[in-house]
Amino acid sequence: MLSVCIIEGSMVSSNVLSGLKMKKNQTKSQFVAVASIAAELSAVMDVAKEISLAAANAKAIAFRAGEKAKGFQPITDFINELAKDTIELVHAINAHALQLYQLTVDEYRMTEAFNKFELAGVLAKGATYESSLRPALLRAQQKMQECLRQFNSHIAQLLDQLGEVMHPARAARVIAANSRIEASQAGEYLQSLQAVAESVDNAAQVIHDNVQRCRSALSFITLTE
Amino acid sequence: MKMTKIYEGAYQWIMFGRDENKPDNIIDTNQYVVRTANRCLLMEPGGTELFAPMLAAVLHHAPVEEITDLFASHQDPDIISSLGLWDQALPNAKLHAPAIWEGFLRHFGCESIEYVPIPDTGGVIRLDNVELKLIPAHYLHSSGNFHVYDPNAKILMSGDVGAALESPGAPVFVDNFEAHVEKMRYFHQRWMPSNQAKRNWIERVRELDIDIIAPQHGRMFRGDDVRRFLDWFEGLQVGTAV
Repeated sequence: MLSVCIIEGSMVSSNVLSGLKMKKNQTKSQFVAVASIAAELSAVMDVAKEISLAAANAKAIAFRAGEKAKGFQPITDFINELAKDTIELVHAINAHALQLYQLTVDEYRMTEAFNKFELAGVLAKGATYESSLRPALLRAQQKMQECLRQFNSHIAQLLDQLGEVMHPARAARVIAANSRIEASQAGEYLQSLQAVAESVDNAAQVIHDNVQRCRSALSFITLTE
Repeated sequence: MKMTKIYEGAYQWIMFGRDENKPDNIIDTNQYVVRTANRCLLMEPGGTELFAPMLAAVLHHAPVEEITDLFASHQDPDIISSLGLWDQALPNAKLHAPAIWEGFLRHFGCESIEYVPIPDTGGVIRLDNVELKLIPAHYLHSSGNFHVYDPNAKILMSGDVGAALESPGAPVFVDNFEAHVEKMRYFHQRWMPSNQAKRNWIERVRELDIDIIAPQHGRMFRGDDVRRFLDWFEGLQVGTAV
């Protein structure tokens, strides 16, 4: 025996649709922000490596300059340590950013599922087993909220870590200023040492700017539960 | 979503399709459900876009907790890209799908649902007292491909074999085979890669007792149109793009 029926054209309310659209845009921003953080961090890592190289270079020049650059020698160790600290911090932040990316994927999947379940609920209005959807909807909502909670907590932690990277960057600028003073007393090595000071200063500025961009991107995507 | 009961006995076969709210730029698909006393098998669940209307439609026939099994004939997105969503909705369900596609299908998201790999030789799905046979249909069109045959209801769910590119709202059964041929020709010639696989499949399918061939796109064949389709397909050269 054959029979045909059509579910009565259940109209999906414009509120539900505009809510879905807003959420879609938010998720898009999340993915873009997390990807841009990874790109900015990779640039910070490159700059930190440059500082490390500048420190080695400065050490060699200071060694050749001997007495004339005596004040410069301990500064090179500081520069090197700052570079090392920055690299270590960026490694840790990268690992965290990777977790954040995974959470973004999980959160996207859960939100997508929740939205679709909600839509199914609207479309299933009047269906014999409409109410059986409720446990799945609740489960999806709980999972989605848990993902959001974790996501926001990771964002907060990441913001703290990025704040920590700003410290060595600020210290590097102070060191660069001291380096210039010491370089002025290094006679024929003046130009070489001033170039080192310049490159540390520039690098510190680049790190500062990149980290600042990461922080703004992160602040932008903190989600509301 | 249009729902058509195509078998009613101790259990039911229901065809779902012709979703009016489907975006125009995605191909229309047919989904099939076998509903037994306590279980429900959803065949070719469809793409992500179709998930909500499909779930809503199934709720007219079964509660969520009784949708226990999914079947995917192969790996295409219009067949099963909704897997990640079903995975959230049905954490205790099983997905019966070709073994060779497991690692690929898991990309759609399959953490809770149990993946039951179908070996190349085929297998069975048991739902309460109903036994459905999984008939190999490799290279028609996918390299790992199965159809579902119900010897009691005499229905063969034939995946992409028998598919037609139809206009929206087309009837669910073929009513004029000769006119229908032109809607199937390009699809079969272009999507089916192997004449050898086609001949082998036809030979095996001719031995089955079939009242209805139910493809994943287009219209179903019943009665004499089943034989007409097999004859037509046998004479058709496929894999014509090279």
